[in-house]
Amino acid sequence: MTSLPALNKARVLLANGFAIMTAYRAQIFIWMLSGTLSLVMMLVWIGQAQQAPDGRIGGYNGPDFASYFLSIWLAGQMLVVWVAWELNFEIRQGGLSARLLRPLDPIWLHLAGHFAERLVRIPLMLLMLAAFAWLTHARFSTRPLDYLLFTALVLLGFAFRFLWEYCTGLLAFWTDSSTSFSDLNWLLYSALGGLFAPLSFYPQAVQDVARFTPFPYMLGLPAEVLSGRSSTGAALWGLLILLAWTTGFGVLRLWMWRVGLRKYGAVGA
Amino acid sequence: MNLSLPPPTVRVSGLTKTYTVAEKQPGLMGSVRSFFRRQTKNVNAVQDVTFTLEPGEMVGFLGPNGAGKTTTLKMLSGLLHPSGGTVEVADFEPKRRQQGFLKSVTLVMGQKQQLIWDLPAHDTFLVNQAIYEIPDEQYRATLREFSEVLELDGLLNKQVRKLSLGERMKCELAAALLHRPKVLFLDEPTIGLDVNMQVSVREFVQEYNRRYGATVMLTSHYMADVTALAKRILVIDAGRLVFDGDLEGLVERGSADKTVKLQLGRPASAEQLGRYGQVLRLDGLNAELSIPRSQVSAQAGRLLSELEVADLTVEDPPIEQIIGRLFGQREVAGKEEQDIPEPQELSHD
Repeated sequence: MTSLPALNKARVLLANGFAIMTAYRAQIFIWMLSGTLSLVMMLVWIGQAQQAPDGRIGGYNGPDFASYFLSIWLAGQMLVVWVAWELNFEIRQGGLSARLLRPLDPIWLHLAGHFAERLVRIPLMLLMLAAFAWLTHARFSTRPLDYLLFTALVLLGFAFRFLWEYCTGLLAFWTDSSTSFSDLNWLLYSALGGLFAPLSFYPQAVQDVARFTPFPYMLGLPAEVLSGRSSTGAALWGLLILLAWTTGFGVLRLWMWRVGLRKYGAVGA
Repeated sequence: MNLSLPPPTVRVSGLTKTYTVAEKQPGLMGSVRSFFRRQTKNVNAVQDVTFTLEPGEMVGFLGPNGAGKTTTLKMLSGLLHPSGGTVEVADFEPKRRQQGFLKSVTLVMGQKQQLIWDLPAHDTFLVNQAIYEIPDEQYRATLREFSEVLELDGLLNKQVRKLSLGERMKCELAAALLHRPKVLFLDEPTIGLDVNMQVSVREFVQEYNRRYGATVMLTSHYMADVTALAKRILVIDAGRLVFDGDLEGLVERGSADKTVKLQLGRPASAEQLGRYGQVLRLDGLNAELSIPRSQVSAQAGRLLSELEVADLTVEDPPIEQIIGRLFGQREVAGKEEQDIPEPQELSHD
């Protein structure tokens, strides 16, 4: 044990999560393949661009669409969160009890599990990205700053989505099942995030509404940054908005946790 | 010289837990009605329970299914918030789940597990070491000690899902006690285990209590667990504490009769023996009679003077029989009025 308990906990939880995730490595690969809707959309839009008179739609040609959707796919892979499903199961089946008995907020165990999964996912993801980029002639930004901004946006996007889904999972304290809310979450995230098409393709009214939500800044914006279509200023503004949403959901999570525990029935245990 | 006694480890006063339970009539119409208008009712799972446990005390907590045992243990360990009353465990209020409290107690549930299914038990132990901030030296010493008493050698590096139920329970116990808690709440720790494994778990709990002076509260359907570990018994029935005393007191209260075992010198008929009490068994020269407590001395005297008796012993009926009789009577009497729900039925509106 190191002299810093917090650091030691993080190390052990991460190592433990990694051990669990390596046991599920084949499953992770399957999850990655099933999360390729953005790549399907890429093929659809490249096909449409090829049929357009000037080879462009909304300012995007084939390689532009490839760059955008591959970047979306990359960001989406880093934003995968399943904590709502886990929490829903634990609260409904009583599995939360074992976690509550330990002197550590269960959120850290879930977070360590997600980070560990990312460690297993990233090498596979980079291999797949290289193959897709080669096949589609996608081009990415050459500015090092864009990669830094992309990483920051994705990290903050992950923090927001994790807390958002955590709050969704906590709804199981009050409802019979919270997983149906996750389906609605996914629709908002993918539609307003720009997974089906760049946000600029939507009607102006939808774009105006979307601007107030965190979704364009966690998926579409990092994709535009990575494909070299966004300015530093826009990326910084996105970071600020994501930070505000993440803080808000961090506070909401604490409140829901405190109130929800009073409702917890520790069922089945 | 200070003669004052140490304060109790567990203080419970007027503890109450009320659940809201959803009710639905069976069938399609019942589902339709429930969809538009959900009906609920309040069920008192625990009502006005009061007791204290002294440091190092081992107490058996008995009651029929649905009596409120597990609900009480969950409130004592901070998993459930009481609806009323006060609880204090190791100087903490459990529902606040402070770090100091969680490091002082443990709850072992025979039907639930904390071990990580796909990894060896040792990995869960390491996680617990980090979470409970157990120094390396203490961790190694505790693990060595537990391995010896529970015979864990060879089990710790096997995947949990490949362990037998008994092996898994031993690892569960070790994982739950690695931080050396002062208060142990054990909910059916031997359920489903074979006799040898039950003995092994019992001995471990006994040894832990002796070595660390821990307070232990135990529920079990196996009376051997209770009689081996606990001098004091709490009985809960329909959410109310109906008995708090020693085993002998429970036997006295639960059984109005004593069992008189006879070894006869000459055969006697059931009719002959029936004059002294209820004949429970007659097998050649061996017989067992059930005689009301108040008449035991007189009837034993008559038996010795009127029959040829080689040996006579007076015993209390087995504890299982007494408990079964106590609860059996209540269950029959109160089945209609009080039906505590299984946890799955609890509502989350």
